[in-house]
Amino acid sequence: MIEPIVVVSNIIDGLLMGLLYSLVALGLSLIFGLMDIINFAHGDFVMIGAYLAWILAMNFMVDPSVTALITVPLFFVIGLAVYKAVIEPILGAEPLIQIAVTVGLGFVLQNIALAIFHAEPRSYPAPALNFGINVGPITLTAAKLVAAAVSLASLLLIHYMLTRTKFGLAIRATSANRMVAPLMGINVGKVYAVVFGLGIALTALGAALYMSWGQVNPYLGASFSLLSWVIVAMGGLGGVVGVLASGLIVGVLEALGSTFITPSARMAVVYLAFFLLLWFRPRGLFARR
Amino acid sequence: MGLGTRRNLIVLAIIVAVLAIIPFALGFNQYYILLAATSLIFAVFVIAWNIIGGYAGQLDLAPMAYIGVGGIVTAELLKYYGITPWVGMFIGAGASMALAAAVGYPTFRFGIKEVWYALLTASLVVILNNITHLPQVLGSFDHYLPAKTGWYYLIFYRYQNIYYVILGLFVATVLINLLISNSKTGYYLRAIREDELAAEALGIDVRKYKLKALLTYAGILGFTGYLYIVLQGTYSYQTFNSPTSLSIAIMGIVGGLGSIAGAFTSAMFLKTVEEYLRGTIGATIPGLYLLIYGILLIIVGIFKPEGIAALFNWVKKKVGFENRGM
Repeated sequence: MIEPIVVVSNIIDGLLMGLLYSLVALGLSLIFGLMDIINFAHGDFVMIGAYLAWILAMNFMVDPSVTALITVPLFFVIGLAVYKAVIEPILGAEPLIQIAVTVGLGFVLQNIALAIFHAEPRSYPAPALNFGINVGPITLTAAKLVAAAVSLASLLLIHYMLTRTKFGLAIRATSANRMVAPLMGINVGKVYAVVFGLGIALTALGAALYMSWGQVNPYLGASFSLLSWVIVAMGGLGGVVGVLASGLIVGVLEALGSTFITPSARMAVVYLAFFLLLWFRPRGLFARR
Repeated sequence: MGLGTRRNLIVLAIIVAVLAIIPFALGFNQYYILLAATSLIFAVFVIAWNIIGGYAGQLDLAPMAYIGVGGIVTAELLKYYGITPWVGMFIGAGASMALAAAVGYPTFRFGIKEVWYALLTASLVVILNNITHLPQVLGSFDHYLPAKTGWYYLIFYRYQNIYYVILGLFVATVLINLLISNSKTGYYLRAIREDELAAEALGIDVRKYKLKALLTYAGILGFTGYLYIVLQGTYSYQTFNSPTSLSIAIMGIVGGLGSIAGAFTSAMFLKTVEEYLRGTIGATIPGLYLLIYGILLIIVGIFKPEGIAALFNWVKKKVGFENRGM
């Protein structure tokens, strides 16, 4: 019998993870919603970001989450470069080709990491935030609380950017109709590039936060990619709110699977939910269209 | 409905004749015959993949799910009930087709974006890997086939027999491809691939034809699964291996969507290079061949979506004849 308190604490843990997943998935959702680019390499950027955070943390002896100050701007630039080199040529290509190219990109990133770091997992040995905080009978990891808080703040910031700023308006206008947007004086190419850069920058933020307690191996990206896509499928491109709600659901599902079955089955539970979702709500839980 | 031009069959006969003398040419060196058999079985996989990926244009990333399910069902039937693979392979194929139907039925609904199919198939391999890893299913250790040899078990002391069985399956798979390619189904599938909306508007039951392609493909893979396990020697949860699964789709794309000759060439070539790299520098740079696959995929996707098949067409034009369907 599993004690109720264990279930509750695992669910809270799942909610905290869910916020982090939402942060990573938001970039994917923005990219997919705006330019219809199917990026299967999204999670692999999280993996590269995690290695980068680990290297910086080891060199400067700071908590990996602090390294986001360097990795996020760097990843924005990397995102722009990847957009120019790989994404721009396949804009509007048939989905199969898009997926193929980004799967290829993911393979490249994964196996570069494998060649450099080999398969053993790496983690920061002295994380400053990896201590427990007792809230009544429940113990929470400080690092996860910080990650969740930063994720939530970033999600709100992007929500504000999308709904209240001129650039956000340009993004929404372009995703509503990319033929008409240029007629309204929107530089669509620039919007695409910046949003792709932003999406990749968010993966670096997620990765740096994750490394405060997590460990990275070359295959970390695959699970983040699939999780992000499941969140996007559930969110149904319903903006930041849809992504946030789906991220929390996925986080809790994962925690429940891990609690009631075994930790190795937690992903299977998420995918099973995704499978059922496609059966019953193919346009997502929070679809507007 | 037919097999297309006579030239197709002549080319196939020549290729089969060349493949048939390979064991002799290799002097019955068992290691090389195992490599040849592995390359050939991947050619079967990739040519089967061509039905769903090439003709129907659906990016199926779950070949190892169908191969694994079909193969493991066949192997377990042999192990625990003594059922010969000659029967078991059909049951395995049926199991794979049932699984494929469960995946395809919801995702081939009209108006659902292709990405969900790719995603669902990619996650299918992970799900099966996780589920079979549970101690109640296969657990975390390797399972061995019965230590018996003979045609009843399709397990042989030497590899040339299994090589010829795979060659037979190869011929069957190519013929099925040709049949589909030159039939109404083939034209429908290509229409769906080019423009699903227009195909639906013309009255093609898109979902039905996509499912037809998927079930044919999954059936072939499920049938061949047991032979793959025989070549591997063991089966376990790691039979559901994502990189291998992706590499089959990659070989199909690099070969050129819808081209049997391209699929064959790219499978034989890439698999041989992969085994060579694994045997030589695999220990120092693990995953080098996957890195090469990734780069190839990006290059092909961006610059030459027609793949290796474009090369064949160029040669055919130079030689002075055009040939369709092969």
